Formats: sequence, structure tokens, C-alpha cells
Amino acid sequence: MEPLPPRVEELPGELKYIQYEHSLEAQYLPAIRALISKDLSEPYSIFVYRYFLYQWAHLCYMALNPLDDSLIGVVICKLEPHASHSPPTLRGYIAMLAVSASYRGHGIATALVRKAIDAMAARNADEIVLETEETNIPAMRLYERLGFLRSKKLHRYYLNGNSAYRLVLLLRKIDPDAATDLALDDADQLLPTPVPAPPVRTQAVG
Amino acid sequence: MKTTTQDEATVSEELAQLSVNNPNLVEMDDPPPPQITSEGIITTDITHKFKAAASTLEPGELIKDGFFTLFESVGSLEIMDPKMDSGCLAPGESLDEEYDVTRPLLPSEVLGIIDQLLCLEMAWHLGYPLSQTLFTNVYIEAMQMPSPTTIQEAHFIRSDDNQGDGAAQNPMFTVLRAYCLGLLKACWYVNERIKSEHYYEEEDFVTNTYHRSLLEDIDRTEIRDEILAARRLLHSIRHEISEEVSQALSLRLELRTAFLRAIELSELRSNPDSLSLPWSQMKAVWAAINKSHHLGKPVPEAFSTKIQRRVASTMPPRPIVHLSFEETFKHFNNLLEDGIEVLKVLNYHDPQSLLNFVLTFQAKKPQPLVYIRTLLQNFLFKDMVILGNLSIRQVLDADLSIVVLPGSRLLDPANDAVEAPYDPRFAMAHQMEVFRQRAAQSYLDIHRAFCQNRCRVRRTLCHSIQDWETVQIDAEDIDQLLAVQLEEQPMSYTTTLTSSSEPALSLPLSSWAYLYKLRLMEWIVQLGFELETYQPDELAGMYWYLSYLAKTRAQHVERIKAFTVSRYNEKRIAGTSKVTKSEEEQHKRSLSYLRVTLIDAAVTWELADGLSCLYTVLHRLKLIPTYPGPYSSDELRYDIRMKPFSTVGLPELPSFETFKNATAQPDTSTADLLTYALRAVEGAKRGFHDGLAVLNEKEAFTVGTHERWVARTKNTLKSVISTSIAIGAVQRALNNNGENNNKECRDDVLHNDLKVEVPKPDKTYHEWWIVPKITVTEKKKAAGGEGV
Repeated sequence: MEPLPPRVEELPGELKYIQYEHSLEAQYLPAIRALISKDLSEPYSIFVYRYFLYQWAHLCYMALNPLDDSLIGVVICKLEPHASHSPPTLRGYIAMLAVSASYRGHGIATALVRKAIDAMAARNADEIVLETEETNIPAMRLYERLGFLRSKKLHRYYLNGNSAYRLVLLLRKIDPDAATDLALDDADQLLPTPVPAPPVRTQAVG
Repeated sequence: MKTTTQDEATVSEELAQLSVNNPNLVEMDDPPPPQITSEGIITTDITHKFKAAASTLEPGELIKDGFFTLFESVGSLEIMDPKMDSGCLAPGESLDEEYDVTRPLLPSEVLGIIDQLLCLEMAWHLGYPLSQTLFTNVYIEAMQMPSPTTIQEAHFIRSDDNQGDGAAQNPMFTVLRAYCLGLLKACWYVNERIKSEHYYEEEDFVTNTYHRSLLEDIDRTEIRDEILAARRLLHSIRHEISEEVSQALSLRLELRTAFLRAIELSELRSNPDSLSLPWSQMKAVWAAINKSHHLGKPVPEAFSTKIQRRVASTMPPRPIVHLSFEETFKHFNNLLEDGIEVLKVLNYHDPQSLLNFVLTFQAKKPQPLVYIRTLLQNFLFKDMVILGNLSIRQVLDADLSIVVLPGSRLLDPANDAVEAPYDPRFAMAHQMEVFRQRAAQSYLDIHRAFCQNRCRVRRTLCHSIQDWETVQIDAEDIDQLLAVQLEEQPMSYTTTLTSSSEPALSLPLSSWAYLYKLRLMEWIVQLGFELETYQPDELAGMYWYLSYLAKTRAQHVERIKAFTVSRYNEKRIAGTSKVTKSEEEQHKRSLSYLRVTLIDAAVTWELADGLSCLYTVLHRLKLIPTYPGPYSSDELRYDIRMKPFSTVGLPELPSFETFKNATAQPDTSTADLLTYALRAVEGAKRGFHDGLAVLNEKEAFTVGTHERWVARTKNTLKSVISTSIAIGAVQRALNNNGENNNKECRDDVLHNDLKVEVPKPDKTYHEWWIVPKITVTEKKKAAGGEGV
């Protein structure tokens, strides 16, 4: 593993937190990709980024260096009805979270996640979920401090063979009587449909 | 987090050159349109229309239909990105591997290649695809492509390439070829075995063979003959090539024959002693292989990711999985040991021992590999015949007899022969068959569930409890009908745990189902500890819930026992029909089972109770980090945590208020909590010494798995002891501060004096018992007091 760059002792003033919008693509997408790809062994195509950013730009937040507006951190999410539950919940999903290594340890990731959660809560999200690698202690600590719980462990979820935890934050009570299959996703059936979706797995905040 | 060798700037730079932004691409001339001619089809060139339409879009604007999901977007590739585009070449790079398989090989090189193949074979067993493991080897690829249909064709040097120079006859090629033959054939069998059982694709294993046959069409006896011939050849040239190396190569060939033989025999599903011979042989050979590994000379150039371009796969080219030989050695050793052990399941004794076999075998750390787990499934379920010679009914009826119906008329096979519809036995046979139809699948699914990886076991059980909930309800209807046929009278009963009940029917079938449902619920919680699903601040609550479930089970077992005993006594006293020797045996056996289940439930309940109280105290002293969190609430978190149990009718999920109260116990002083905890743990300890420790394998219902069960039980006992030590440490610290009457002040002192470490499950004596390690810090140093 490459040695981490030295961490900055002090932030360059108050960071700018801004909501992404499509007009910023040319300016920031390459930097977003670079920041996120850095911690991935397998790359995502540009379509993965656009899939999220084009549809849920309002759930993407960036932390910018106040000196030169360069990208320091980013969170990317989506918010959709989750249909395998009955009744369906409005489920937020934190797909990617990354903070430049030298700026870690200043609460930037937490600030980004809180903005994203607030934005999803304002849009009536019932719950927010994400997956994180079992070895990614900083990410799990960050989310657990915010109130997330580990709901299940996913065996060898990532291409590198590591397992993951599904983390869940429930924002409002869901009527248990209305649901038939509360516990679990359709992916949990004893005889599953093979080939799970390749995981989106960026929670690089350590 | 992933490792990377590039810094951000380089990544940025590379990304800038990719895809849509790549100026080199724009400068290229437009390729000519493809010539499409097909009868009855008129083609139209829409290139210009398409370009015109596309030019109205902003870069990055997403045009998609409603069926384009995250799945599709993740699956999309960027052309000309070397990490995604399998045809993308660096300047001067060749498309194919240029390694010459006809180049002469030194004996040590053949050994090196074989050992590398062993590592890759194990990586495949561990869950990595063939494309990143065995199929990166040029000899394997050459042997399989084009697909050989005869043993003669199965060579990495085909005769027509040979051009009469006899290259294929080189002894070292003969050895390597024989090894590859045995390897590929074994892989075919393993792959087929896994595919035919329940497993999770890409999670447990990747069965994709990328249109390579793994020598499916070649007979294993022919392959065995080739391997034997190669070993004879090695023997004859041993003086020319060094005895040591010749011996090392021969051992590796022996491993291949033994593996094929082990696979062949496992199809028989009988006589485990003879089935284990090739496994034992492999184990002996494997130890010797390890000792001769250093003789090999690695040939890294014989392995290449470029071959992935040839395998039919949508996957971008991915790196070769490198498993060290030391790692491989360990995993192989486990595979062989588990292979020997799993055969013992064929020594069937009784259904509870069988279940305990599956439970303890699958709880091994590390868990047996997927091949072994599917082998176990095959032994258990193939063709709906249990362990090769038992019908599902035999096993199910035996289980009912042990748990709820010893010597019962309901299980009399003679009932089936009764044809008179008004004879109660006719109705009994019918209703019991209805019940078996309803329950058999659920019953077998428990065994099947435990053959999955540990994460899946828990997730599957979360579903199963809902199934068992309905099995129980349906069984109760059948119980009512059967009670009429048996002319059963309601009875009130008293047990040590419950005061006298209202008169009730025995309801044996639903009692049986309820007992399993309770066990399932306990397992879900226990696996939650094992899989580290619960954070330290949840432990007090989850151990409380576990104790609640175990106590419910203990009460239920006492109820079953009360009816079993009464039925037996009635029969003896009535004297209408003599109690037969067999009935007496069954009755004794059932009581023995109920006894061990009761002790197990009681131990679980008391230890869980003790741990829960201990964690409650640690909470009070703020020694467990808690995250109230700005979002959600404790009640919502309780909802999520208890979701799997929320639809269970009995036992009803405690309300959040009850849970909160039971976890905080605000009305009990810290000192009392600790005293209570210690008493509970002492109770658990007695359960071991007087109960579990003295059981033989028949009494414990662990025939064939007793050693593993004893080991696990001892580990629970160690957990019990370490819990009482932890409680004692807190008690002592509390007593040392006895003069401090101010509670808050005292708690602060204790907070500073004590240091708590909540261990990871794999650092405990038993992964279901997360016992905190408590140390008293030295007074002088006690300053800030970090939680963990």
C-alpha cells in the first residue's frame, strides 16, 4: 500500500459545501471520479457516476477548498421507492463517499453525510441504507455515530473477496401491519436469482 | 478500502484522456459503415441522423429508459479504458500471450508450475473465478482450446502442432499434461457438485467455466491411466532428473489420482470408512508436498491475464489472484480434514445427532469450503433420500418420537394399513401424512440453511421463522383433530418454571414446531454476535432478548415433558395394554433429549442474563461507548434490530418500553445487578458441571459429532468463567469505593478505575458469547478514562 500523504493539520479556512448540479459536470466530474477511483481496485465507468449525478444531483454534496475551489470531498446518493417491501419504503442510498486522504480527520465526511441525510429526510425518506466493507472501520464508526445500525453481513460482497455490512438508519416508523415481508430484501430468498449487482462500494473516509 | 499504486494526479490525468474526452479518438477517420446484407432485410444508415440527434445533447446528459438501473450502469464499460476494455492495448502490446508451450521445461520448472496451479486451484475454491485463477495458465488454456473430445487431443501440444519432432513426448510434458488432466477433471466434478446444490453464485463460488469444458467428455479412468503412466515414467527417469524432484512430481500426481478417487467414492454415500481412504491418502501426500515446495522453480511467464481476452466473459480483465503457498497449504489442509470429517455424517444414528452434526460442523472456524458444504448437502438430500438410505419420513418420524411423541400411536406405521374410514387409526394416518407434507420441507430447510455461508445462515433463518410460524399454526389445527381421535383430555400441569396451568391439550405437533421456531430465533441472535452485527452498546439488549428466548424455550420444554411423562404414566397405570420394551426405550430416550435441551436452554438463558446485567452496569458507568446520534432514535433502532422477529406471534416481541426497562433496569442498584448477574452465571456453571459435562454421546444426542460438541460446550464454559471473572472485577472496584456514598461521584471514580475491552467474536472463547475484558487501571494513571 502506498503511504498516505501527510494530513493537513489545519484546514485552509472554512470549507465550502455546495450541492452538485449538472452544469458543474465539466468542472468537477473528473475530480470526483479521481477522488473516488483512488480507493477502488476496480473502476466504475462514467455511466455509474452519471447515473447518480444526473438523476439525484440534489443529493450530491461537495466539499471545496475555499482557496481554489478544488474538490476535497464528495458524497453521492440516490432516493427511490424500495419495492421489495410491502408497503414500499422511500429508501435513500449513500452510494459513494470520499474525502481526500490529506484532509481526513476533520469531520468533512460526517458533514457531507449529514447534508445528504438532511436532504433525503427533507424529501420524506423513510430509511437510508448503505454498504461498507467490513474492514473499513472509520466509515462504520462515522455512520454508527450518526445512528446507523448494522442490519446484516454480506459474505464476500466485494470483488476483492471482502465482506460488507449493510447499515440502516430508520428515519420514521414503518407500520408493521402493512408489511408482509419486513425483514428482508428479495435478495434474501433461500433460492436467489444469481448474479447480484456489482457493488457500489465507495466509503473512503478513513 | 482499496489499495492503489497511483496518486490522484495520475488518475486524473488518465481519466482526462479517456472515453468521450479522448482527442485521439476524435482525430481518427470515421470508419466505413459495416456492410450489412441479409435476405429480406433492408438496412438504412442512420449514422448522420444519430449524430445530429446526439449533437443536441449536453455532454453528460443521461438518456435512458425506465429499465436502465444501477445494475446496468455498473455493468457498462468504457471503451479504451485499459481497466474496462479487454481489447485495449498499450502501445506495442500484443493481444495474445506469446508464451511458447512447446519450449522445453526443466523438471524444477514443471514443479514450480504445478505448485502455482495448486495455489490457483485453492483460490478458485475460495470463490475467485477461473478466469483469474486456473485459466490464467497457458498450458491449461492450450489443453482446453479447442475443446478436446478424446484423451489424445487433451494435450497442450496437439499432434498437428508437433510436426513430428516428438515435442509432446518430452517426459516433462507428459508429467505436466497428466497433472493438468487430473486437475481439470477434478475441477469439473467440483464445479458440477457445487452447481447441483444450494450455494450463492459469486458470493460463495463462481461456477462460470467460460465455455471451457474442464474435460467433461474425457473419461476419468482414461485420465487416471495417463497419470499412472506419467508416474511410471517419472520412476524410470528418476536418476536422470534428480530423485528428489522426481519424487516431488510423483507426489503431486498422486494427489490428483487420490482426489479423483475421493470424488468418485463420495457418490456412493455409504460406508464412510472406505470413502475416507483417498482423503487420508491425500492428507499424507499433502504434507509431503509442502516439504518439497522449495524444489520448484516458478515460471511466472506461463501465467497471463491476457488469456482473459479469449474467455467468453463480459468482465473486464482482472488481475491474477495470488495466494501464497503457505496460505494454500493451510486451506488445502482444512479442505482435506473437513473432507474426512464430513463423511462421518453418513454414520446416521438419530435425527438430533444429525442436526448437531450439521450445526457443529458448519460452526467450525474457518467454515468448511463451499465444496465440502455442498458435499454435505449432497449426502443429506440427494434424490430426497437422506444420507443415501433413509426416507424423509423415517427421519422426521424419528425426530417427532424423540421430541414429543415417544411410543405414540400416531407414529405407528401400521396405521397406514388401516382401510376402514371410521377407524381412528385411519384418520391418524391421514392427518399425520398431512402434517408431514406440511412440515418436512421446513424441517429439511434448517439443515440446508446451515450448509450455507454464515452470513447467509442468519439471513435465511430470518425468513425461516416466518415459515415456522405458519407450520406451528397449521400443526395446531392438526393437533386438535388428532386429540379427538386419541380421545385426549385436557390436563393442567405444573413445572418448576410455571405454576399450575389451565387444563390444556398436549398439542404435540405444534409443540414440536414451536420448539424449532424458538431455536431458530435463538440462532439468529447468536449468529448476530458471531457476525459482529451488534455494536457494543447493543449487547446488553441483545443478551437480554436471547435470555428471554432461551427462557421461553426452557418453559416450553418443561411443558412438553409434563405431557410426555403423564402420557407414559397413564399408559402404565391403565394396564390396558402392556408398555412394550420399545415404548419404554423411546420414552427414556425422549426424556433424555428433553433433559439435555432443558439444560442447554437454561445455560443459555442464565449466561445471557448474566452478561446482559454486566453490560447494563458497564453502560451505567459509561464504559461502553454509546452513540445516541443526531438521527433516528432508540425506538427506531429497536424496530430495525427486531424486524426479523416482529411478525412472530409467539413469543411476542417485547414492546420497546419493556425492552428499554429490561436493559436499563433503573430500579435495581448497581451492586444488586452484579450480585444477580453472578448468581445467574453460577447457575449456568452448575448446568455444565451437573448437566452437560457428564453426558455421553447418546445422552447428548451427538453421536458422530461428540468431540466437536464437547469442544464447543467447553468453550461456552470458559465464557461462563470469564464472565464471572469480569463481574467479580467490577464488584471489587465497586466495593473498594464503598465509602463513596454519592452515587454519581462513585460512578465517576469507577469509570476512571476500570478499563473495558469488548473483544471481536474471533477473539473470544466462543463466538456467541462476547464477554468483556475488564481491567482495573492503576490509580495513579487513572485520568481521562477512555471508554474502549
